[in-house]
Amino acid sequence: MRRLAPWAAGVLAVAALPALARNTFFLHVCILVFMWTVLGAAWNVLGGFAGQVSFGHASLFGIGAYVTIILYLEAGIAPWWGIPLGGLAAAAASLPIGLICFRLRGPYFSLSTLAVAELVRLVALNWEWATNGPVGFLITALPPLSFLGHAVNWEAKAPFYAVAAALMLLALASTAWLRRSRLGAYLAAIRENEDAAEAVGIDTVRAKVLTLALSAFLAGAGGGFYAFYFRYIDPDAVLNIGLSMEMVFIAMVGGLGTVGGPLVGAVFLTTIGEAVRERFQVGHLIFYGLFMMLVIRFLPEGIWGRARRLLANARARVLLHGAARG
Amino acid sequence: MEAFVQSLVSGVLTGVLYAMIGIGLTVVFGVMRIINLAHGEMVMLGMFAAFWGRSLWHLDPFLSVLLWTPAMFVVGMLVYRFLLRKIIPGGELNTLLYTAGLSLLVANLALFAWTGDYRTINLPYALTPMRPFGIAVPIPAAIAFGVALAITAALWLFLSRTDMGRAIRATSQNAEAAVLMGIDVERVAVVTFGLGTALAGAAGVLLAPSLYLYPTVGELLIVKCFVIVVLGGLGSVPGAIAGGILLGVVESFGAVYVSTTYKDGIGYVIFLLVLLFRPSGLFGVGRS
Amino acid sequence: MALLEARGLTRFFGGLRAVGNLSFEVAEGEIPGLIGPNGAGKTTVFNLVTGFVRPSGGDVWLEGRSVVGLRPHAVARRGIARTFQIVKPFPNLSVKENVTLAAFLRHPARRDAEAEAARVLERVDLGHRVGVLASQLTLLDQKRLEMAKALATGPRVILLDEPMGGLTPSEVDAASGIVRRIRESGVTVVLVEHVMKAIMRISDRVIVMHHGEKIAEGAPAAVVRDPAVIAAYFGKRVA
Repeated sequence: MRRLAPWAAGVLAVAALPALARNTFFLHVCILVFMWTVLGAAWNVLGGFAGQVSFGHASLFGIGAYVTIILYLEAGIAPWWGIPLGGLAAAAASLPIGLICFRLRGPYFSLSTLAVAELVRLVALNWEWATNGPVGFLITALPPLSFLGHAVNWEAKAPFYAVAAALMLLALASTAWLRRSRLGAYLAAIRENEDAAEAVGIDTVRAKVLTLALSAFLAGAGGGFYAFYFRYIDPDAVLNIGLSMEMVFIAMVGGLGTVGGPLVGAVFLTTIGEAVRERFQVGHLIFYGLFMMLVIRFLPEGIWGRARRLLANARARVLLHGAARG
Repeated sequence: MEAFVQSLVSGVLTGVLYAMIGIGLTVVFGVMRIINLAHGEMVMLGMFAAFWGRSLWHLDPFLSVLLWTPAMFVVGMLVYRFLLRKIIPGGELNTLLYTAGLSLLVANLALFAWTGDYRTINLPYALTPMRPFGIAVPIPAAIAFGVALAITAALWLFLSRTDMGRAIRATSQNAEAAVLMGIDVERVAVVTFGLGTALAGAAGVLLAPSLYLYPTVGELLIVKCFVIVVLGGLGSVPGAIAGGILLGVVESFGAVYVSTTYKDGIGYVIFLLVLLFRPSGLFGVGRS
Repeated sequence: MALLEARGLTRFFGGLRAVGNLSFEVAEGEIPGLIGPNGAGKTTVFNLVTGFVRPSGGDVWLEGRSVVGLRPHAVARRGIARTFQIVKPFPNLSVKENVTLAAFLRHPARRDAEAEAARVLERVDLGHRVGVLASQLTLLDQKRLEMAKALATGPRVILLDEPMGGLTPSEVDAASGIVRRIRESGVTVVLVEHVMKAIMRISDRVIVMHHGEKIAEGAPAAVVRDPAVIAAYFGKRVA
């Protein structure tokens, strides 16, 4: 029960936020933070837990975005179906990608993900019959749809806020589940010593493929959300290397292998990014790069990773203190 | 037949420059086991150095190689000494991500300072291509080729004849043994990183008159660079030369015989195939 | 039918023949020893049997079913476990977590796996160190942990790759005791070892390898007097 307390508090806070602050810009920033948390968590599942560093996650994001937007434009499929379907499409695509890339380890794996992502972008750019090429897709009108009997007005921020919050909750909950599950334990073993893991009967390929599928689902769902929120996608917007790197940064700055890390990373980088964008129009990526370097140099566990360790040490000291006195 | 030879020539001309960029990356990996994701930005800095040198001081880009190469060498040494040195003990992953951050920082600082507008360098003596044996050879490409060959030859002599060069090769083969033999591995690392950066910068300067220049070109170049060094074998200088020329030729043929849109894609496909079936490189000399 | 059998096992690495046409049988309850000078191919044999390396030729059967072509985790599932010459623990996990991970193979529920891990750790005398990080153990304890991980997978056969390497004489005695306890618990052991004292005391039968081939086989006392074996270790002039 005590474990659920922070989750309950978090859900309440997130639910209460729009009521307290009606400023649309603030809600927009919150939506961005939620979306980037999902993406950071997606990367963290593969990179932080399984120890497989991917520089090509934008491909999964982009596949989700394209599938979701095409399903809407061609078949009128509403966001609450389209976004999970985008996630599933990305998960399905991750199977052949994993088949190719998991044959490699370490930096070779990372480089292969880069190549795969670039190939996906080239395909999206050139297979115009499927993706409209560089023109991309535009949602011109999002008429009110009915959800459980209520009409949802897509011109307001509130519905997007709700969807983004739900996705974020899903992402964080799946990460928490993964950490305590047997699969999570297997991933720790693989991270520590892949040969030894195989030797004790752990199917390392299956573990990595399953983890990638989860990671891909989250990234793809994030992509689907992006498609509906920003209403326009093209290969450069959703399949570029920069996006892949941003996902890495958020997970890294927040804290690899932690549950809350991506949220902290997203809050940090998004608020700084938006603040810079307000003042200077461009250059928010300068701060991404700078913070990445600073975090690796001074806080390699990430902001949240370090905070957790400080909390744990403080708690241990309190216990010792109490034990010494009592 | 003529199209074939033309393709081949174009490919080799570009390929030698690719090779220079690849050597820079591979030599750093060989000695320090670092994959420097900011290497593309070093090339970009060389390109813009040539551009600004010409715009502001009317320096001929090819002559300015003599100025910018040592400058980039110093930049490389400073980057290693003040930025990378403390990060390397943290492990391969941390170093890789650190250079990713550096790459983002440099590319976007450049974008902020110089905007994303495409720049070109127009050389009055380079307007019409030469036509030896009826094959069109753009003059900047030819000069770049010549200078690149000279630099590569100088590098070869350096690595094989000088003490520092031998120290670099020794450390690249076995860092522990190098330390035991009394080689100052720290110094080797500083010099190697400077060397890698200088090669990247020089390649940038030489490429500048032939390409459209923009600050985020590093993104495209770094992926090509990986293809080259993996083809040739991570850590192998001759491999990088062969890989660079091979990629140049493959891209050139690809553009002519397959399609211009997919020519980059061909490189990536070859990259994946090599990674899967011969990760130690086409010539089997690479290290992991 | 032999518990573990290999026929014509061969492996080339490029032009080098690491293992050539090797055949042997292991009966249930034995502790055969595999010895030979450095480079004889002993570890390669283990790698071939456990799926870390594919044979260039030949076959391996456990209880009559071939295990060639299976990935290492599948071989472990069939019932062949192994330790590594240079121990491969999960360094940043505790001793208990290390062994629990191995126990998951036959005990998917965490509580059962933890219980099995505790039992195995007692058997190798690591019960008092369950909370220690693997990287902080002494060498002997790391060897115990290595054996515990292999045992926790519930194997029929366990392949021990030089478990005595680097141990002092009294530590060798301790480790030998654990090996005998393993056999007593019903697991067949195949031992690769250099430390002659250990082989003599533990193994009832010894197979000698040289340059990838079997050159002698029999009781330890007889094998060490075999001229071919002496020649392999010390050169022809001594024999």
